[in-house]
Amino acid sequence: MTAVLQLGSAVERGGGRAETVGDFAEFVRMSMPGLLRYGHALTGNPHDSADLVQAVLEKVGSRWGTVQGKGDDPLAYVRRAMANTHISIWRRRRRESLVADFPDNGAVAPELSRLENEPLWQALRELPPRQRAVIVLRYYENLSEAEIAHALGISCGTVKSQSSKAMASLRTRLGKE
Amino acid sequence: MDDLDDELRRLFNDDRLDVHSEPVAVEAVVSGARRRRRRRTAVTGAVAVVALVGAGIGLTHLTTSRLEDTTGALLTTGTSATSTPTSPPPVSTVVSTVTQTVNAPPGTGTPDDTSTGDPGKPSSNRPSTTLVPESQPGRYGTLALGMPEAEALETGSLVEPSTPADAEQRCKAYATKSVPDANAVIVSPAKGIVRIMMPSYAKTPKNVGAGSTVADVKTAYANAAQSGSHVTVQMAASPPWTYVFEIDGTTVTTVFLRLAAGDCTTA
Repeated sequence: MTAVLQLGSAVERGGGRAETVGDFAEFVRMSMPGLLRYGHALTGNPHDSADLVQAVLEKVGSRWGTVQGKGDDPLAYVRRAMANTHISIWRRRRRESLVADFPDNGAVAPELSRLENEPLWQALRELPPRQRAVIVLRYYENLSEAEIAHALGISCGTVKSQSSKAMASLRTRLGKE
Repeated sequence: MDDLDDELRRLFNDDRLDVHSEPVAVEAVVSGARRRRRRRTAVTGAVAVVALVGAGIGLTHLTTSRLEDTTGALLTTGTSATSTPTSPPPVSTVVSTVTQTVNAPPGTGTPDDTSTGDPGKPSSNRPSTTLVPESQPGRYGTLALGMPEAEALETGSLVEPSTPADAEQRCKAYATKSVPDANAVIVSPAKGIVRIMMPSYAKTPKNVGAGSTVADVKTAYANAAQSGSHVTVQMAASPPWTYVFEIDGTTVTTVFLRLAAGDCTTA
């Protein structure tokens, strides 16, 4: 805990604001395709992915000096922030949209994922956000249980239970297909 | 059983997961980030002015009995406050009494210290060695270490919105009216305020602050311990906390009050 104290504030206050902004723009440019893809896996559709990526990057960018000063890989930081933001904010929205998205008019929204017809993709959509995040971090990011626990700020036990619940749900749903 | 593992890996490797049209423009993100930063700075600046005015007004209304409670990290003026020999008040009772007393009062220590009239002198029921951590409460202005977030927000000292203080977004960081830094105060959902950054102009009761030398710190606090780029001084208040002096070579750059039992990775 002590060691981390020196980071942060001083860095952000330091000069070179223009340089920092340029650096951030370059980071955004380079990481955008990967983040959108990752956001797509997390949220289930490209539209929400774009919103999530933009929201998190803006927030991170407004504190770019501090984020860099933490010594972490900024990309890993953004990805963790995306997973957490998706869980905390998008959960509500997702529940609302589950009701709103499926009026029986057969309309297909243009932003639907190209994976929409995949049974596994459909089954994933039914998972609660945290369970889905655990699955994405495990199978998309290839993180270990401990790494997932660290990224989401939960215990390893919770990761295990969320993961096994998610896998059981997926199996059940796929079995029904 | 493993087929689901394989299927998931295959799905997440699928090219169709790529988002081809660029729905987010780099410029939009950069300008959005700039807007956020400006908004934060503007809000901070505005409330800082209000706080300064408030400080002037508040100071004129302070009574001696109030001064005894303002033992946080304040500039020493040698005021001889009278007080009762009580232990440091619980954090929750301090809120309303400690108003913008940036340049206020009594030398130091806890109420039981001030009753002796000698700020540096330990109270009678403590060993009289300078190596014993002082029992000064961990607070600055209206904010105290360990104070729950809701209570801290009620003081009006925190500048919203908060930002995540760690990658897990469990702890929150706030700027304050007196410190326009996004990480001025770190709040843990479990432990309350775990870290407070002092304004650059503020001094501890022993007159140490940004610009002081490491030697000054060690002279003022016999139990100071240097480790890498910071010097820490443990304080034996309840809850226990530590002064953390960030140093750049030999000079103090920033002073933090840090809760000993904090649980935020950034604090």
